[in-house]
Amino acid sequence: MFGHACVVAIEVQDLSKVFETGRRRHRRRVDAVDNLSFSVERGERVAYIGPNGAGKSTSIKILTGILHPTQGEASVLGVVPWLDRRRLAARIGTLFGQRSLLWFELTPRQSYRMLAAIYGLDRRREEARIGELGDLLEAGDLFDMPVRSLSLGQRMRCELAACMLHDPEVLFLDEPTIGLDLLAKQRFRELLVRLNTEQGTTIFLTSHDVADIEHVALRAMVINHGSLIYDNEVVAMRRALLSTKLVEVGLSRPAPAPALAGVTVLEHTETTMKLVVDTVTTSIRHVLDDLLDGLPVADISVVDPPLEQVIASIYGRSAV
Amino acid sequence: MRGLAATFRNALAEVRSNRASFVSQISVMVLNDIVWVFFWVLFFRRVGSVRGWDGRNILLLLSVLTAAGGIALGVLANARRIGTMAVDGQLDAVLALPVPPLAHVLLRRVEATNVGDLVFGVVLFLSAGSPTPARAAVFVFAVAAASVLLTAFLVLAGSLAFFAGRNEAGELGFHAMIVLGAYPIDIFAGAAKVLLYTAVPAAFVSSVPARLIEDFDAGSAACLVAVAGVFAFAASASFTLGLRRYTSGSVWTR
Repeated sequence: MFGHACVVAIEVQDLSKVFETGRRRHRRRVDAVDNLSFSVERGERVAYIGPNGAGKSTSIKILTGILHPTQGEASVLGVVPWLDRRRLAARIGTLFGQRSLLWFELTPRQSYRMLAAIYGLDRRREEARIGELGDLLEAGDLFDMPVRSLSLGQRMRCELAACMLHDPEVLFLDEPTIGLDLLAKQRFRELLVRLNTEQGTTIFLTSHDVADIEHVALRAMVINHGSLIYDNEVVAMRRALLSTKLVEVGLSRPAPAPALAGVTVLEHTETTMKLVVDTVTTSIRHVLDDLLDGLPVADISVVDPPLEQVIASIYGRSAV
Repeated sequence: MRGLAATFRNALAEVRSNRASFVSQISVMVLNDIVWVFFWVLFFRRVGSVRGWDGRNILLLLSVLTAAGGIALGVLANARRIGTMAVDGQLDAVLALPVPPLAHVLLRRVEATNVGDLVFGVVLFLSAGSPTPARAAVFVFAVAAASVLLTAFLVLAGSLAFFAGRNEAGELGFHAMIVLGAYPIDIFAGAAKVLLYTAVPAAFVSSVPARLIEDFDAGSAACLVAVAGVFAFAASASFTLGLRRYTSGSVWTR
């Protein structure tokens, strides 16, 4: 196992973590991670998603060496995280949305200076790297302000600089956009994509925000009850897993709604029509032919369902 | 070492970031300690001595205890918080860094209030401990050993939280050491005295060091170093073993 470390960033096999809670007669087992297996290649952008309590954070903490697993094997950059945590920590970056690497009363630069000393960067390299990250994250002007005076969005950019300071090969991000406003989220996502494309950093991201997954990840892994229940490209996930399409029709004049098998009218006005097509019952091509033949169509488009719906569908299938 | 030095530099910078608060907290603790000493002085003026301990001895005892307590609770402030950090999952940020976790945790927080104890302990020794170069050297040695022992005891008691899932032992241990250490060991007898030389080694944090300054004895000094060493080893081992059971706050019901 784990012999192809040069291309594989993360490899996990039959990984389990059991928490025992309660006392004596009220003692119970919680299988936070249950026989989890997957691998991630270097340079990938992976979304690791699941409902609350699915085991996402627990498995990330095992992969970063913070927690010890109950059983199973894992390797990150060829290193077993819980056996050689310090060696691995020097090569990866971790950003937990609800935990800070920065010192609240100090400036980000003071925190970076400490981190640079911990990562063994000399002063010249430290200054150069802080400058690079300031430019990349457009945050250089924030580095000399006390952290307590930064907005959440500004702080998260500074946090990202902190976990990127040592040029990590893999970046683990656990709910990194939690609490950010829409603009800050969008900017943060763009930064992650740039880090990946410009520096080749492997991105391993958990989030409850579907837009994080759509805009950052190319691959999605869905975990529930500690087990992997889905693993595919984000685009394929949306297409393959939901058997409905949304058809939006623009009408040149008022027309009655069509009565077609497998088609539900969602919205109908004098100039527009929104239809949901069940592609198990009928083909999208057949529906489009009927609509074009029977209606005064001025414009028509077929839209994939929102990812929230796809994920809800995966959870639903898993629960069944 | 460079990383640990940088961590401690940041901890100092953080506690001094509000200079007025830093100075006022230290001053308040010094005042608090002065009131405490005042009562002891009044007490010994009335009773003369208690089982061989007079006012001069008790001031030495308090100077060592406050100085060692100032180091363990002020300079290495997280020593007292190990149990809470273990239970609440506050060690994640430390474990994500390539650092020796215990040393990093201990050095990353300074509390101004207890630094006041350290200042008070040193000033008390200089003003009431009849300082000579030889006695000052023994004072430094005794405070160093006592602070290692007190820190180690707090870490050991706090690390039990990794196994028990609760931090009662840490809090109980902290109060036991500080409260019992404030009294001369000879007022205790029997099992209590044995306990204070062994499981809750309060005697080695105050009475034994105070006696060493008054009347240096190589055997007692070696014994103090040995006890501090044993507790330091046990603290390090229990913390390291505890990390294997660390749940990062992921256990929801206890």
